[in-house]
Amino acid sequence: MDSGVSKQIMDSTLAHPLSDEHRVHFERHALPNGLRIVLHRDTTLPLVAVNLWYHVGSKLEQPGSTGYAHLLEHLMFQGSQNVGTNDHFRLVQKVGGTANGSTWYDRTNYYEVLPSHHLDLGLWLESDRMGHFLPSVTQEKLDNQREVVINERRQKIDNQPYGRGFERLHELLYGPAHPYRWPVIGYIEDLEQATLDTVCNFFERFYTPANAVLTLAGDFEVDDALERIDRWFGDIPTAERPAPLNPAPPQLDGEIREVLEDDIRLPRIYLGYNAPPFGDQGWYTGDLLATAFSDGKSSLLYEDLVYRRQLAQDVGCYILPTETTATFAVVSTAKPGVDPAELESALDEHLERAGESLEEHRVERAKQRLLTNHHDHLQLLDRRADFLSHYTTFLDDPDRINNEPSMYQKLTAGDTSTFARNVLRRDRRVSLTLVPRATDSTETPRGDKA
Amino acid sequence: MSGSPTSRPPVDRSRPPAAGDLRPFRFPSFEHVRLDNGLEVYAARSGRAPLARLETLMPAGAELSLGHSGLAGLHGDLLDEGSARHSAMELAMAVEALGGFLSTGAGWNVAYVDLGLLAQHLDAGLELMTEIVRTPTFPEHELERLRRLRLTELLRRKDQPQHLAEQWIDALIYRDTVYGQGLIGQQKSLEGFTLDDIQGFYRQHVRPNGASVIAIGDTDPDLLVAKIEQAFGDWTAQPDVPQPEIEPHRLSNLEVHIVDRPESAQTQLVLGHHGLPRAHPDFAAVRIMNAILGGQFTSRINLNLRERHGFTYSAQSMFLFRRGPGPFRMRAAVATDVAGQAAKEMLFEVRKLREELPSDEEVRDTRHYLAGIFPYTMQTIGDLAKRLEALAIFGLGDDYYQSYPANLLEVTPQQVLAAAQAHLHPDHMAVVAVGPAKTLRPQLEDLGPVRVVTPEEVMAGDVGDDA
Repeated sequence: MDSGVSKQIMDSTLAHPLSDEHRVHFERHALPNGLRIVLHRDTTLPLVAVNLWYHVGSKLEQPGSTGYAHLLEHLMFQGSQNVGTNDHFRLVQKVGGTANGSTWYDRTNYYEVLPSHHLDLGLWLESDRMGHFLPSVTQEKLDNQREVVINERRQKIDNQPYGRGFERLHELLYGPAHPYRWPVIGYIEDLEQATLDTVCNFFERFYTPANAVLTLAGDFEVDDALERIDRWFGDIPTAERPAPLNPAPPQLDGEIREVLEDDIRLPRIYLGYNAPPFGDQGWYTGDLLATAFSDGKSSLLYEDLVYRRQLAQDVGCYILPTETTATFAVVSTAKPGVDPAELESALDEHLERAGESLEEHRVERAKQRLLTNHHDHLQLLDRRADFLSHYTTFLDDPDRINNEPSMYQKLTAGDTSTFARNVLRRDRRVSLTLVPRATDSTETPRGDKA
Repeated sequence: MSGSPTSRPPVDRSRPPAAGDLRPFRFPSFEHVRLDNGLEVYAARSGRAPLARLETLMPAGAELSLGHSGLAGLHGDLLDEGSARHSAMELAMAVEALGGFLSTGAGWNVAYVDLGLLAQHLDAGLELMTEIVRTPTFPEHELERLRRLRLTELLRRKDQPQHLAEQWIDALIYRDTVYGQGLIGQQKSLEGFTLDDIQGFYRQHVRPNGASVIAIGDTDPDLLVAKIEQAFGDWTAQPDVPQPEIEPHRLSNLEVHIVDRPESAQTQLVLGHHGLPRAHPDFAAVRIMNAILGGQFTSRINLNLRERHGFTYSAQSMFLFRRGPGPFRMRAAVATDVAGQAAKEMLFEVRKLREELPSDEEVRDTRHYLAGIFPYTMQTIGDLAKRLEALAIFGLGDDYYQSYPANLLEVTPQQVLAAAQAHLHPDHMAVVAVGPAKTLRPQLEDLGPVRVVTPEEVMAGDVGDDA
């Protein structure tokens, strides 16, 4: 290639990626009832992000009672003692704001972004459902949202090609003892059995001030905002913070292999490994490796398997940002006519070779892309607020938002190789292949029938 | 506001708190100049992030590939697969070394080269973008590779209920016009394209007149304009190619189409007909009208289907705005045993919106939502680029976004009603349901004539004459 451009770039790789003007400045506070607060002031736009994390997710559910944290997320948009059933979205939207929430293995977040002169509206809505939610829950709301969630599951998983792939990968990788084994959205039979009592008990245990982090980001005065937070959240009773749940990572002592049929045309391979948890230096190494493997046309696996040899239609590598341990996944779809076994052994060759060495230029490009990503995400007030809540909830370290770039930049190609050697081990992984359903005797699982 | 936390009166939770003082928002300033060769240049300074964005929009969109469905998309995709100085992989490596994200392709209106990168690498990025736009080489082996990639993508779409529904409804409501063919193309057309077709399309459509460059960087906009003039100023203008007129097909009555997937766990519903062009004077009223119908969480069809009935996770309606009359669609993935009822509820809401004046409150809340959300949608340089793209493509006028929120705030309930009557046509709607025909037919046949098709027929795209 023309080396002019890339040489210049390599030389300018930044030793200190964040100058002061690009740091996210914040303050930490707490209320007597245990609510932790992070405030990040930025008056560029007349907006304020209200972002509330509860340290509860699907991992705190029990087998047979899965999907509660997510079902509660739905119910918590159905009003609270002082907020009408459909009023949450209506009141936010009519002032030009936006609201949503999401549930994951370890946490649930709720957020609004509002024109900054409506800060009180966000604080009222969030404090009302933290402190005054249970009196508003009815069997009718539960039944309605249960149907909505079951339809959500059908739409995203059961009626989607490859929809069951990731769910099955986790069942195999984490079974039988680890709570990451069941899907965040839960199983339909568990959702059908959820009762008002069990759901309300779940709320009472985990949705308390001491188990939450509230971040405000945007256009406000710090003292004024603190006073408003205290006014809305201060009278919510103290409850003991639930003990953190940090189950030991699963111990795989061999390779687990499975082939699963699905309504698809092309086989897809899922390789799953158990990696260090989010926040560890090892996690960042895994993320850098995943980026070098599959992010962009000149990434290692894309270049060879999709671009050059054309064995794969796509390839993606991910490390999930989970709290107690993480999944490193390699997912790739075979081209028509390509035997999935051939694709899997091509993937294996790369993973093995990466354990020996990885070209420096690939790792350097991945670092540049991760730095662009970092700045790209932080343009959004809601993302900044969400990151601050995230790092505070998991790591008690909101400043990670500023230190994260250097956790990538200090890594070398040698570090990523060590990760590949120690974590991406063939004798401690799950290999799952989704293949087209054999509907008649002439169809092969190779997916080459048009 | 004042008083110490210990002495304050208890907070009144019983109603929404009052607002504070509104802080104003101004659309960011930008430069717009036309170079002597006709190239339109838009330049702006980026905000707090050390990022830059460079885009070229060329009058080489899919609307120009009538009879050659997928040609514009394949051409756009091939733009970064080799230049006079670099091979495809060398371009990718160079861009990614800048921390860059490069994408090229074509939508209905334009072909584009879109490059996001770290701000400090702007000059190197501009050099690469210029090279990609002005000197693509279209290597034969890259054409073959992308052709295979797209044919495989088509194969996969056969398994995706929403794709099946939308592809079929477009074929029904646009028939033989270019909008009926699908952006990606069809198997037959994709198999037939030659290198000559691609090169010919480039020669005919990629030229400075009619094209735009958008540059957002960590530097003075005048300086950005000068850099772009230096890169593109000596590019020679060519004769203009007229924009095609798109004449949609109006169904003579409501038609029901079932795409039979006997094993579906759910039914995908899409209902719709053609909409209106982006530059239509009813745009603001239609946005408010659609938000009331199905364009926000608290819309009528979402509250009806999701919150009242629990039929679906989400029900939406949308007008897709293009230079020509893009589609109007209502969409929901519903439990199969209630699919008929869900379709009827959507039609009920459409009829109601055409017949009854919406309340002042509903219209006011929706106006405030759409106008108030505007600053939130203007946070990133990508957001700004998207607005500048709209100015460049639709010729909305450079001051358009200064008055955009105010224009939305002026829409009245009478205008919403008029917009519903003019742009919603429940008696000429196509209703497409992807799911098990055996269960669906009895639920849908009282709506109108029912036709059952297979996913293979959808992919072939032939709606026939009597559909």
